[in-house]
This record gives sequence, C-alpha cells and structure tokens, in this order.
Amino acid sequence: MLRIEHLTKKYGDKTAVDDLNLHIQKGEIYGFIGHNGAGKTTTLKSVVGILQFDRGEIYIGGESVKEQPLKCKSKIAYIPDNPDLYDYMTGIKYLNFIADIFKVSAADRKERIHKYADLFEITDELAQPIAAYSHGMKQKLAIISAWLHEPELIIMDEPFVGLDPKASHLLKEMMRAFCDNGGAIFFSTHVLEVAEKLCDKVAIIKGGKLIRQGTMDEVKGDESLEDVFLELEK
Amino acid sequence: MSLWKMYSWNWRSRMLKLLVKKQLSEIFRVYFYNAKKNKARSKVSTIMFMIWFAVIMIGVLGGIFTMLSRKLCAPMAALDMGWMYYALMGLLAILLGTFGSVFNTFSGLYLAKDNDLLLSMPIPVSAIVASRLLSVYILGLMYSAVVIIPAWIVYMVTAGVNTQNIFGGIILTLLISVFVMTLSCLLGYVVAKVSLKLKHKSMITVLVSLLFIGAYYFFYFKARNMITDLLTNLTVYGEKIKGSAYLLFTFGSVGAGDMQSSLIMIALVTVLFLAMWFLISKSFLQVAISTGKVGKVKYRRKTMIQESVSKALLLREFKHFTSSSGYMLNSGLGVFLMPVCAAGLLWKGRKLFTMLNGMFGSQDGSVLLLITVMLCGLISMNIMTAPSISLEGKSLWIAQSLPVTPWQVLRAKLDMQLILNSIPAMLCMICTAVVCPFKIGQFVMMILQVLSYVFVMAVFGLFMGVIKPVLTWTNELTPIKQSASVMITLFGGFGYTALLFIGYMALPGYTLGYMRYIGIFIAVNVVAGLTLYIWLKTKGCDRFAEL
Repeated sequence: MLRIEHLTKKYGDKTAVDDLNLHIQKGEIYGFIGHNGAGKTTTLKSVVGILQFDRGEIYIGGESVKEQPLKCKSKIAYIPDNPDLYDYMTGIKYLNFIADIFKVSAADRKERIHKYADLFEITDELAQPIAAYSHGMKQKLAIISAWLHEPELIIMDEPFVGLDPKASHLLKEMMRAFCDNGGAIFFSTHVLEVAEKLCDKVAIIKGGKLIRQGTMDEVKGDESLEDVFLELEK
Repeated sequence: MSLWKMYSWNWRSRMLKLLVKKQLSEIFRVYFYNAKKNKARSKVSTIMFMIWFAVIMIGVLGGIFTMLSRKLCAPMAALDMGWMYYALMGLLAILLGTFGSVFNTFSGLYLAKDNDLLLSMPIPVSAIVASRLLSVYILGLMYSAVVIIPAWIVYMVTAGVNTQNIFGGIILTLLISVFVMTLSCLLGYVVAKVSLKLKHKSMITVLVSLLFIGAYYFFYFKARNMITDLLTNLTVYGEKIKGSAYLLFTFGSVGAGDMQSSLIMIALVTVLFLAMWFLISKSFLQVAISTGKVGKVKYRRKTMIQESVSKALLLREFKHFTSSSGYMLNSGLGVFLMPVCAAGLLWKGRKLFTMLNGMFGSQDGSVLLLITVMLCGLISMNIMTAPSISLEGKSLWIAQSLPVTPWQVLRAKLDMQLILNSIPAMLCMICTAVVCPFKIGQFVMMILQVLSYVFVMAVFGLFMGVIKPVLTWTNELTPIKQSASVMITLFGGFGYTALLFIGYMALPGYTLGYMRYIGIFIAVNVVAGLTLYIWLKTKGCDRFAEL
C-alpha cells in the first residue's frame, strides 16, 4: 500500500530524514516512533505530498507521489499533529467541503457524517463555527473528515493528542476495523503503550535514520516497547 | 511602604516592561523580521522598509496636511485666531488618529491570540491592558502626528518661534495622542460589547464601517466650501464658537500656548483617560474570555448537496471573504462602493454628466475617461487575491494534502475576485450608459478597459500573494493590512489609475482621442494580464506547492 524508498529530506545543511526505507501493506497498522525532531513529521508530510523531498521515492498503491500526486492524494487521508482547520467554516461546512473535493455522493456523505458525528458525539456542534471548537473537537472533526471519503491509506501524526478517553478508545476501534477491511494506517505516536497494543508493525527513527523496524514481536522481543525504545535512544 | 508592597510594585513594573517590550517587537516586527524567509532582515532591508514607511506617512500624508495648514494658518494667525487654527487641525488629527487606530483596537485589545497565554501566567491584568494600550497609543500617535505636527511647524513659521508656541504645540500633540487612545479604546470597548451579542458580526461591521466612510467622504467633499466659508467669516465663527462651544475654544487655545487652557485640557483629558482605564481594566477579563451570549446554533440533519471540486473551492473562498469584516473592508471596499456609485449615477448621473461636459467637453472622450478612471479607482480597492495566499496560514496543509492541483486552488482565488469585481463594475457601466449619451464604440472600449483591468488586478494581486506570502501570523489583519503583497498591489493599482488620468489630461493623451488612448491601455492590460496568468499557471503553481 505504501512503499518508501531511500527517502531523504534536508533543511539547509541539516538532514531531517536520511535514506529511509519502509513498506506498509494492506491491513497493517504501522506505528512510527521517535523522539522530538527525529524526522517523523517530515516523513509523514512527504508521504502526503505537503513536503517535497530531495531524494528517494514514495509509492502509494503503486503510484509515485512525485509523478502522480493527485492519484496518490485521492487514496489517502491525513490528520496532522495540530488540527488547524478552516476557522471561518462551521463543522458541517468543512465536512461538506472535504466530501466535495473527494467527490463523495450526497447520500454517502450524509450517512457517513451522521454516523461518525454521532459516534464522536459532536452532531449537535456541527453547525458551530470551527473557531469555537476545542482542540479535542477539532481533532474529532479532522478524524471524521479522514474517514469520510473511505481512503485506502490513513496517515496520522499524533492522532490521540487532545482526545478524551472515550474518543481515544473509539479511534483505536475505528483504526482496527479500517485495517481489517483492507485499509492501511501509518501513524506517529509518543504513547508507546498504545503503539504496543495497537500496531501490527513498528518503526523507530532516530536522527532521521531508521534504526529498527518490523513486527511488534521482532522489534520488542520479550521486553516492553518502552524499554526497547529507551535502550535504542541511548 | 512595606517590603511586600515594594516587592509587588517592582514585580508589576518588571512585568509591564517585559510586556511592553513584547508589544513593541510585535508592532515593529515587520521591519526586522522577514516572515517569508523566517529570519531576521538585513540592516539594509530594515532601513529600506523604514524609509518606505516614512515616505508614505511623512511625505504623502504629512505633505497633504502641510498644504492644508498653510492655507488655513496665515489668515487665522493674522487675526490672532491661532486657537481656531489649532482647534480645526486638532479635530482633524483626532479624526484621523481615531480612524487609523479604532479598527485595530478591538482586535488588538480583545482578540489578541496570546490573551489566553498571558492570562494564564502570573501577570497582573492591568499590566496586560497597559501593554495593549501602548500599541493603540502608538498607532493613534502616528496617525494624529501626521496632521498636528505639520500644523505646529507651519504655525511657528507663520506666527514666529517662541517658547509659548513651542510648548503649546508639544502639549497639544501629547493631549491629542492620549485623547485619541481614550476615544479608540472606548469605541473598541463598545464594539467588543456589541459583538458579543451579534449574530452576523462581519456583515454588520462592514455596514457600520461603510456608513462611517460615507459620512467621512460627505464631509470631505463639503470641506472645500466649508473652508472657504470659514475663511471669509472668521470673526463671526470665532465669536460663535467662543459663545456656544467654549471647550473647542479652550482646546484650540492649548496649541496657541495659553497656560490656563492647557491646564484645563490636561485635567479633562486625564480624567477621561482614567475613566477609560477604569472601564477597560475592570471589563477586560470579562470581555476577553467571554464566548458571547449568542444562542448556540444546533445542527439539524438535512439533505446534503454534492458540488464540483472547482465550485467547492470557490465557495470556500467566498466563505472566507464574507466571514471576515477585516478582509471585506480592507481588500474589497470597492465591491461595496460600486453599487452605491451605480445608484448615484442613476440618481444624479445626468447632472454630473452635464457638469463634467461643461468643464471638459472640449476634449473628446474626457467625460468618459473620468468615469473610466473612477471605475478603475474603485476596482483598485479590491485586492482579495493579494492576501489570499497568506490567509491560508496554518491551514495551508489542507489545500496541499487534498487531491487538487495548485492551479485549482489559485484559480478559485482568482475567480472570486473576478466575479466580485466584474458584476458591480458592469452594473456601474450599464447605469453610465442609461444616463450618459456616449458613442457605442467609446462605450465598448470602456467596457473592455474596465474588464481587462479587473483581470489585471486579480492576476497581479495573486502574483504578489504567491511571491510574497506571510504564513506565520497571529492576527488575521497582519497579512490583510501589513503584508508587502497587499501594499504593492494596492499602490500599484492606484498608480495605474493615476497614470490613466494624468496621461490623458496632462501628458497629453487626449491628442490621441479616447478610443486610441484607451486602446493602448487595453493592449497593455491584455499583455500584462496574460503574462502574469501564464506565470501563475506554471511557476506560480510550483511556488505554491513549495510553500
């Protein structure tokens, strides 16, 4: 579903991501962990086409992000670390805007918006301007907009930040269900317990380089993910 | 003083010093920081920026008020009516100072994005308010000084340089600056209170502002007659003011160096300032953290409509424009003024045409050119595309991560400006055709000129927006009012309009006749517009994708 080959991204003299290789298959929840400034967000932004990288290739469903950006973007959904949405729109207008861009039919969008808004308990708030939303509500709206067009791959940067425990639990269930239905998820997190319980595979990045990757058992063995991570960070 | 009180005082003054430093760095940030490159400006760039600002404020605005002062000062000083001269110039300074700072006061005081951050820290609310007031004061001082300082200098040149005149001018300048701040804050407070209860804030703000601007221009156009009337009946008006508006006499006398008047006005302004301070500091917390008492709109499930991608992007631009009064007023004033002009043309167009024809009828096409210039001037006020890239701000990731091409995003911005300009411009031209008997060929050329200019302004604004974006802002008014893209587009448009007028009347373009003269401008518009359009479709898209 997602293949990253020799990805390299530099900011001036600093190499943010250095020759990174990853392969995420359908049905997998792939966790991406690393300390602050390790290169996680840069990698995720490169995958979704926000950042242009210096070297390497990224393929989504076999299509190159460089060569076929629109085809790739139409297959994915992205939730950034900080959900800066359009403050001047109401929640429902924003969801309708996203649905229009992804050409979701009127009947489908109605059914999905109401389904997810009910699940996250923000249906009543949809007529409010986004400017009046709390961080958690914006995050919920960003999640609904990601699921709205039934993407094949979801990229998420710290998706659990700002969510209440109930919404957090719901998101985990949605992630599992999405991948069980053939989708794939690539997400970064600092919550190692969540990554350990939720992810099928995990990659650890340090200083822009991938230092370990594989199935959860391959990466952590008999130890906890936290122990392995802290050991690798030394 | 107890040790605790001393400590508390020191701590408060230290906090205030820190906040003032922060506020000053925010106000003058644009001179020292290049938002596009995200680094400090070079010394040369900073100096150039400051010179540019000084030229606008001192050279242009200061120059206008120096000329006005020269006209008023000599006859009044000769009749020993310096007080009346200062009263008039002082009132003008108050008007301009308040006009210049009031729009920023509400957003600067109550909507600043760091209010929550500062209120969460151990900083006295009074220190936050004082630091915010400082920026209001500086803006008010800047705008009022361009009127009152030239007036002061002209008075000294005319009436003589002596201690009385020197201190009179200084005291009046300071009093006006404090009064402007007081007035701006009170108006800002009223706006804050009212806006908490309003549902359609943006539109109401625009309407109120338009009424304000209408009143301003009403007096502006009457000013010449009023000044002439005043100068011919100086003593009569002087006695009237002394009799029925003693406060105005006292106010003017401060500038003329009258000690008693100075003491009265200092006391009065101090009392007003303290009252404003009391009101603002008591209510700041309540207003700044209030979410308003407007009833919450509950979402009702209803049928949804699917729109095309291009329409969805266009509707997004319209939504952004209509949701922000700052955006509408600063980047789209002409859109609101053009229908007013169209109505005005229908109402008094024939009279205007007869008058203009009497004045310029000897030069073929002059009247039509004046109407073309007026329309181009109104179109020059509409620069929605110029700040539109910067306004994406932190939400830029959405447009960049969606399956839309950069051109689709840019095209939507372009389309909004074209629609919002061409419709009212066409309305104005239809009204012109109804009331003014022009030749069909000339009228067609006017339509081509106006529409091609609408196109040039839209692509030029977008071009500037793409090459000079400011994506890191905390207040939406920063990219709307202070960005280089907006300034260059605005002054570029006014420069073009001035050239259109001067070229015909003075250079003299009229020897070519209206058809040929406007034909040249249409050709330039088409070439320049298409060049910029092609650039936007190619390199502009690349630059947008890299932002």
